[in-house]
Amino acid sequence: MATKQHSPDSPVKHRHRPEGPQRHIVVFVFSIVLTLIAFAAVAAGGVNPTFAVILLLVMAVLQVILQMGFWMHLKDKGHMMPIIFMLGGFFIAGTCIIMSLYWVWWD
Amino acid sequence: MAEAAQSLHPSQPLKHGHSVKRHTGLMDWITTVDHKKIAILYLWAGGIFFGIGGLEAILIRIQLIKPMNTFLDAQTFNELITMHGTTMIFLGVMPVIFALMNAVIPLQIGARDVAFPFLNALGFWTFLFGGILLNLSWVMGGAPDAGWTSYTPLSSTGYSPTHGVDFYTIGLQIAGLGTLIGGINFLATIITMRAPGMSFMRMPMFAWTTFITSAIILFAFPAITVGLVLLTFDRILEANFFNVAGGGNPVLWQHIFWIFGHPEVYILILPAFGVISEVIPTFSRKRLFGYSSMVFATILIAFLGFMVWAHHMFTTGLGPVANALFSVSTMLIAVPTGIKIFNWLFTMWGGQVRFTTPNLFAAGFIPTFTMGGVTGVMLASAPADFQFHDTYFVVAHFHYVIVGGLVLGLFAGLHYWWPKMFGRMLSETLGKWTFWTFIIGFHLTFFVQHFLGLMGMQRRVFTYLPNQQFDLLNLVSTIGAMLMGVGMLIFLTNIFLTSRRPADAADDPWEDGRTLEWTIPSPPPEYNFKQTPLVRGLDAFWKEKMAGHKGMTPSEPVGSIHMPSATILPFLMSVGIFIAGLGFMFSRDEFSSSIMSFLFNNYIVTALGLLITFGSMLMRSLFDDPGWHIEPEELEGR
Repeated sequence: MATKQHSPDSPVKHRHRPEGPQRHIVVFVFSIVLTLIAFAAVAAGGVNPTFAVILLLVMAVLQVILQMGFWMHLKDKGHMMPIIFMLGGFFIAGTCIIMSLYWVWWD
Repeated sequence: MAEAAQSLHPSQPLKHGHSVKRHTGLMDWITTVDHKKIAILYLWAGGIFFGIGGLEAILIRIQLIKPMNTFLDAQTFNELITMHGTTMIFLGVMPVIFALMNAVIPLQIGARDVAFPFLNALGFWTFLFGGILLNLSWVMGGAPDAGWTSYTPLSSTGYSPTHGVDFYTIGLQIAGLGTLIGGINFLATIITMRAPGMSFMRMPMFAWTTFITSAIILFAFPAITVGLVLLTFDRILEANFFNVAGGGNPVLWQHIFWIFGHPEVYILILPAFGVISEVIPTFSRKRLFGYSSMVFATILIAFLGFMVWAHHMFTTGLGPVANALFSVSTMLIAVPTGIKIFNWLFTMWGGQVRFTTPNLFAAGFIPTFTMGGVTGVMLASAPADFQFHDTYFVVAHFHYVIVGGLVLGLFAGLHYWWPKMFGRMLSETLGKWTFWTFIIGFHLTFFVQHFLGLMGMQRRVFTYLPNQQFDLLNLVSTIGAMLMGVGMLIFLTNIFLTSRRPADAADDPWEDGRTLEWTIPSPPPEYNFKQTPLVRGLDAFWKEKMAGHKGMTPSEPVGSIHMPSATILPFLMSVGIFIAGLGFMFSRDEFSSSIMSFLFNNYIVTALGLLITFGSMLMRSLFDDPGWHIEPEELEGR
């Protein structure tokens, strides 16, 4: 870790195999499909609203994972710190949301 | 070279070392981006605010010296307790913590500066202008008076109609910006700029606690930022977040405040843990006992620190299940904290202990902090807390952990690193006088407050009736506070006398230095390390000493060193935010002069301030800062 400094003089050496564009195209198409499913579920009408909300949330979570993993490179090596800190952020934000809903809004 | 933030485009011509404009005098301090100078700025500013907070404390104690005293009226007393708490925490001790971090962390990890030197300066100036704004309240219509926790509805316009609480919300918002910037900066610095060979588990303990503290800042400060925005909107723009009549909920403020506020107390104490973990091994000539358990205890404290906030709210009526859960999670924190206490004791055990001033403060820290921890566990018990809540028992508890813990830790750190920061050793004799007057004064002041609390004396009352058995203990407490003041004066005298002596401290003035900061001159040159050292183990310098080497093995040849340029932009940005904050606060006021009304009521002052800030940001974006270089000849010439 320590020897890899992100400074102009010593760029981080990415030693993994160069990726072709195929995977990015697949992920891009997949992102579009996820969006279309979510859009269609609402636009088509007739879908049970509770089911639609759950479906939208599931699509959203998948979308976030794809975006983070592939476009933000979190699946690549050397991203442990961003992942740890993002999970930490999710944890704290989640605590606040649960607190607000459970104690302040509903209770 | 190690300036990650000063991104240097390879194709650009480099400014040579000689052509760079060097500022002198005041301009040098306003434009500096050097972490060592910013550390000194933080120390000065924090020290001055600490002094103001200390004077407020003395006034509070004079008022309480005898029953039915008329030295202060109730309103002034409320303003003093509010400003004492707010000033001490946000403007006193946190900047001094940042002073130590700035002075030491880059040196300890073998770096030439922090990751973002520009942001470092910006963090300092926003803190300073936030602090000035908050303290302007004294001369601009009355200080905030709703307590440092500023609970709603007391802090909403219905009960606090003056601008006092606006100074609190806007001032803390601006100062908090600086803290957040500083925290992010240290995270980036420690993750990316450690010297070759310094893995995470070879980092000095102070670097570890700084890292964890910065992570807590990153996660906790957004909560108070949001809370302050909501309160500002409630007060200035007539929103209803905490207004029951408008569908809001005042308890929401308590939740938001303590989701920030509890991690905040770990932001305060963890750096002190780090200082103690440096001082004790140095003066015991032993490596820190249980280094890895110390690291994991620190991480665990940080993690648990986010899950205990409701223990400040046991009496708000959360219900028995929530109270029980938060009791248990709070008591759990005693486990990693206990691990630390025992590790320090085991480090001293069998060591060649030298009671220099820093070690005296460290040794005083352990029992004092432990006492604060024990009352903490007592307060964690929800049924008992119904008795302790809002009494002087709580006041005694948090002063034991903050003053007996953090402030003793800061004293230890300041005496320990003073020669590294200023090139001069503080006087050991005066240092020991500081220690004994301060710690005896401290225990006189706060030990008796436990009993005052148990006997039923409430917090935040401006006076009390005679013959309730409060009289004698309050007198003792006030005498103790005076003695602490004497200790501070001795410390200031020590600084003054030391500053008049020649700067002749050795590289390793304590002779048993274990970490990298002791391998370079005191004070260090502006580039810190001529050659980045190679770290071969925990306590890198000690390891080389034990191997019989004079210094560190360099990890690079002598070469030209890339330095960041000095800039006034961080100062200007902060001035802009300061003006915008003042303008926003008074935007709904009615002024006698029509020009003033025009300027403030149409948000022209606010817009002007934001223009300065965003204009400075535009300047920063449009004009690249390639930095400058110190060439090898200059390094050898010194």
